[in-house]
Amino acid sequence: MIRGRDIVKRFGPTTAVDGVTFDVMKGETYGLLGPNGAGKTTLMRLLSALSPLSSGGLVVAGLDVTRQGRAVRERLGVVTQQDGLDTDLTVRQNLETHGYFSGLSRRESRRRAAEVLAFFGLSDRAHDDIDHLSGGMKRRLAIARAFMMAPDVIILDEPTTGLDPQGRNLVWDKLAALKASGVTILMSTHYMEEAAALCDRIAIMHQGRILDEGTPDELIERHASVEVAQLRMVTDVKAEVQAALVAAGYAWREVGTMIHVAARDGQRPQVPPLEGVRVTYRPGNLEDVFLAVAGKGLGEE
Amino acid sequence: MRTQGTWIVAGVRWRSVQALWLRHAVALKRIWKVATTWYLVEPAFALVAVGFGIGRLVDEVEGGVRYSVFVAPGIIMASAMIHAIFECSWGVFYRITGGFYETVLTAPVTVTELALGDLTWAATRAVLTTISVGSVAIAFGWVTSPWAVGILLAALLVGMEIGAIGLIFAALSPNTHTLSLVFTVVATPLYFFSGSFFPIAVLPDVLEPLAWALPLTPGVHIAQGFARGELRLTHLWSALYMIGLTAVILPIAIRLLKRRLVT
Repeated sequence: MIRGRDIVKRFGPTTAVDGVTFDVMKGETYGLLGPNGAGKTTLMRLLSALSPLSSGGLVVAGLDVTRQGRAVRERLGVVTQQDGLDTDLTVRQNLETHGYFSGLSRRESRRRAAEVLAFFGLSDRAHDDIDHLSGGMKRRLAIARAFMMAPDVIILDEPTTGLDPQGRNLVWDKLAALKASGVTILMSTHYMEEAAALCDRIAIMHQGRILDEGTPDELIERHASVEVAQLRMVTDVKAEVQAALVAAGYAWREVGTMIHVAARDGQRPQVPPLEGVRVTYRPGNLEDVFLAVAGKGLGEE
Repeated sequence: MRTQGTWIVAGVRWRSVQALWLRHAVALKRIWKVATTWYLVEPAFALVAVGFGIGRLVDEVEGGVRYSVFVAPGIIMASAMIHAIFECSWGVFYRITGGFYETVLTAPVTVTELALGDLTWAATRAVLTTISVGSVAIAFGWVTSPWAVGILLAALLVGMEIGAIGLIFAALSPNTHTLSLVFTVVATPLYFFSGSFFPIAVLPDVLEPLAWALPLTPGVHIAQGFARGELRLTHLWSALYMIGLTAVILPIAIRLLKRRLVT
């Protein structure tokens, strides 16, 4: 459904996307995982034909993004990071005008808006002002708008960033329903749990490149230790602990007040017994993958 | 779901222009009570204050024309200008910075089509306020010629031309501070020096050609011609000057908008 080859995007001297090659199959949910500034948003703008490529090739639904931008946008539903809702209009009018912009007649727009509102559980808010909606509802409306034309492909840029847990669950529910209906989804996120819960395949992006790609399980198997030790320091012995870990040859990172330790062979790390340290063990996850692949944690710039 | 057939001329899909116009109309309909103050009440204040107030002090201008009759078309055009400039600078600026235009562009719509949609809406606003303030002027007996309906044409030209200038400010302004310059640099001088309140002939000789070059002056000149039912060749030149200015400014505005929206 989407085929990208050696995509490069430069803004003056900086290279935001630096030779990205990837494929998304029909009906697949594909995740771009990476920290802010990894090039995810830029890549998604290129995909939506909102921004021209510096070089490389990008084909969406059989159409060349560079030469057939308008036709590509006819087939895509795009949810930008800012909701970009029209605050001068009501919920329903937001959907109707988008349908009209996309080429539906006014009557078709009205009919389709009613359907989409029902699907996204927004029917009873149809006549509300945008400013009266919660963050989760605004995001759902933004996704609903992208769904107005029943697109083959939906592109979502960080669909749950900035939402509270309840709002996030509402959005996840709807994305799962869209996925079940067979829509091809390409989404970016910097939440591990989101990528693990929704995506069939994940590409790990860092500094404009895809560092690795695979199913969540494949990536964990390939890069994350099977078991990770979590060290909680009861007294101030951080420096001693770190020195001991270096000596033992383990990879580690600081997570808040804890230190996560992984053995290179994926086995349970044998943390040397240290005074004032409590050790617990947990299975490896995508966060560990990102650390292993990008050499640093997701939260760090 | 596929889109239906539509006109595409020179790469511009007419349907998109229409869609943005419709969006603006729907938004206006939602707030029509408040909007009445902008379209009618406020400009009518100016008309009444100047027409009755200053009209009492000034006997006649330009050889035998009552001051209220002289000033009415100018005040109408000033209101048309304010509406066009406000729509295309502040309106467009907020639709860009709020992320709305970015989402419109995810539909099969281009920046050029957005600019044309905003421009046609600016012209619509100019015409709407001309109708409402014009009706007041007619009620006071300050506009009497049946030719006065032609003032709508002047409003249309002013709306497009001033709207195009507004788009440039929307495209270039990084923030609302720089955006507010559109009033200091464009709206205010045009309001006072376009021959609305006094004939340009009373200006010092050096300033006279400068005043004629201002983009609103020909609009006021045309409106005055229609209002009194006295049309001359100079009115045709004025119309061509405005069309020419629009044709030069609009492509620049579109280019700057593209730079801001599609990078």
